[in-house]
Amino acid sequence: MDIIQLRNKLKQILSLKNIVLILLFGYLAVFLIYPIYKAFIGSFHYWNPLSNTYKYLGLDNYKEVLTSQTFWKSIWNTLIFSVIAIFFRVIIGLGLALVLYSKILKSTSSFFRAVFYLPTITPLVAVSFVWMWLYNPQIGLINNVLGLTVNWLNNPSTALLSVIVMTIWKDFGYAIILFLAGLMSLPTECFEASSIDGASKLQQFKNITLPLLKPTTLFVIITSLITYLQSYIQILVMTEGGPGTSTYVISYLIFDEAFVKYNFGTASAMSVILFVIIAILTFITFKLSGERSVE
Amino acid sequence: MKNLLRLAILISSFIFLFTACSYGKNSDISNLKKDTNKNKNLPVIGENVKFNPNKLINNGKPISIELWTWGDKELWQGIVKGYTYIYPNVNIKVVVQPWSDYWTKLPLSLRGNNGPALFNVHNSNHENIINYMAPYNIDIASLEKDFIGVKSHIENGRAYYIDYAINTGNIYYNKSMWKEAGLTDKEFPKTWDEFTQVAKKLTKRNANDKLIRAGFNFNGTAYQALIEGLNYQKGELLFKEDKKTVNFNNKTTIENTKYLVSLYNDAKVGSPDFGDDYLQSFGNGQSAMIYGWGSTEGELKRLYPEIDFGVFETPTPTKDIPFAYDRYNGESTPGINKNAPKEEQEVAQDFVRYFLANNEIIKTLSLKVGSFPAKYSLGKDKDILADPALLALSKRVENYIFPGPFPSTIETTSGKVFQNIFYNKVPIEKAVDDGENQMKKDMKYSTFKSVEDKYKFYSKLKDLHD
Repeated sequence: MDIIQLRNKLKQILSLKNIVLILLFGYLAVFLIYPIYKAFIGSFHYWNPLSNTYKYLGLDNYKEVLTSQTFWKSIWNTLIFSVIAIFFRVIIGLGLALVLYSKILKSTSSFFRAVFYLPTITPLVAVSFVWMWLYNPQIGLINNVLGLTVNWLNNPSTALLSVIVMTIWKDFGYAIILFLAGLMSLPTECFEASSIDGASKLQQFKNITLPLLKPTTLFVIITSLITYLQSYIQILVMTEGGPGTSTYVISYLIFDEAFVKYNFGTASAMSVILFVIIAILTFITFKLSGERSVE
Repeated sequence: MKNLLRLAILISSFIFLFTACSYGKNSDISNLKKDTNKNKNLPVIGENVKFNPNKLINNGKPISIELWTWGDKELWQGIVKGYTYIYPNVNIKVVVQPWSDYWTKLPLSLRGNNGPALFNVHNSNHENIINYMAPYNIDIASLEKDFIGVKSHIENGRAYYIDYAINTGNIYYNKSMWKEAGLTDKEFPKTWDEFTQVAKKLTKRNANDKLIRAGFNFNGTAYQALIEGLNYQKGELLFKEDKKTVNFNNKTTIENTKYLVSLYNDAKVGSPDFGDDYLQSFGNGQSAMIYGWGSTEGELKRLYPEIDFGVFETPTPTKDIPFAYDRYNGESTPGINKNAPKEEQEVAQDFVRYFLANNEIIKTLSLKVGSFPAKYSLGKDKDILADPALLALSKRVENYIFPGPFPSTIETTSGKVFQNIFYNKVPIEKAVDDGENQMKKDMKYSTFKSVEDKYKFYSKLKDLHD
């Protein structure tokens, strides 16, 4: 092999495509695959990185987690949180997207679009603090305006719901933008043809708009599901899981175990279980929507 | 050539991306001068722990380190300024992190060998940071001659931090409400029964029997501190004989919790729904009395300057001197990062010596956090005794017990017990039992050992239980 051939070979190896691939694989290996592997192995150990303790426990962490009432309570709360938040995010998002798309608001449409989207780009911690004040039983706006004496964040029946309401308020703007983009991309011919056939607006919505918006709806549901199953910041700021364990969600429990108690082993076991749950739920969602698409 | 250039750009972008987040190191020395003046003609300060400023630090070469705190930035900058005034070649950058972030970021950055050279310590996180701390280069005998409670902080014959002040609970009251209720300064309740009566007098309801002013408010985090104090008053220790197992589920905790429940349910001096934070409620003029630790005074002055408040000693079960009036905890001196570069550690060690020898610093900090200085020489200081909270404390400073730097689960779980009883309506016995189980689970691998037996009046426990 002469020098020219060697140079060409080297050039080929050093092609931009290969370099990018190597770097991306390197990135994934260091920041994704290794941490997942480390967490999985760590879930079988008592692991406290601060005291340099790493002791093999077998399945003890899993046994402890799966028999813990707080864990199951957190799983239940996470599901409640996700289902309610996703439902209202989709309903409000779609409803307001239709209002903005229908040109009822005419020239003010872009103003409202911006206003609705504003909470989405506001930091969650700041929003949580503002809502904490709104919910304050003594000086909060909600009780004072409505003349109530509800201890919103300390009552086990209202605490989780209060956090969900704040989350929906913060997040529905994201769904509006996605649904609006979906509505704008719908083929106008279908609507024109159905109008000629005498279809009402409701029939058009039910039989054309909704089915055609399915990919957008699915996208909103799946991204929301993944986000809400991992939510914990609002819980950390607003209730710290209280009263008692009433508002513990799984990610908050993992955070508490890992970064307050520094029990990385138990936190890893919880993370592995959460990973499996998210994978199953995402798979079911895809499967259901796929089957319906075929139908 | 083009590909090589692309490669270089890509690699440098990745390197930038991966190394962009580094903290704890402070290398800004551009504004610092070299110090050549070894003999500064300044007096040596300190009684037993002495600080001699007449020397060079880091051989006079510019050096910059960081000091992390969760507290008052200006206050710490003031302290640092005094030191860097002596050594113009030294810069100590004060970095403030909010409390909750602090205890996540500090241990992890110390673990990652990129922590600050100096950092503030809170002993509830002792186990999370002690492995990364360098011992003070100060002999224990001098420390013991100058400060109270040094013994309980010695590990393998070395001190890694000690207490510069002693912090405990007192009752804070609103002076105008006190007067309005027809109470005088001579009517500070001595016993809990008297306290209940006073709280009743201070409670206000409107025509519809709606609570508009709580006589006493302990919502939020007050219970978790108060319950330990109430138990110690009756001679109930927080840890069992093995010094490791928590002793929370016992008759005394249940009895004391029942008393607190009765304050709201029977005496009707407050309500768990009357504000979710005792300090905020007191600051907003909606509660007449609260139980608070030393920092309460500073927070009230800072957040609610218009509130005119006074302080009196926490009542006791009877008028006799109890086993202990309450638990005390120390406000800790700064810690030194053992993994910091040697020259940074040299500055940190010298700064700690300056800190400990300097009475003004100890006094200023103690006043700021409403805690009694642990330095013997400040015990009768006029400024200290002019502070109402510290005056209250000074009268019986030896009768407070220190259980040791126990893990934070003891307090946070007690907080959950409070929430379970008052909001989730869990029966007291079950809530206390669940609480103890949680504490035990969290402390399963803890190396903590109680120092309750080092309390001056520990032997009285026998008489109490006989």
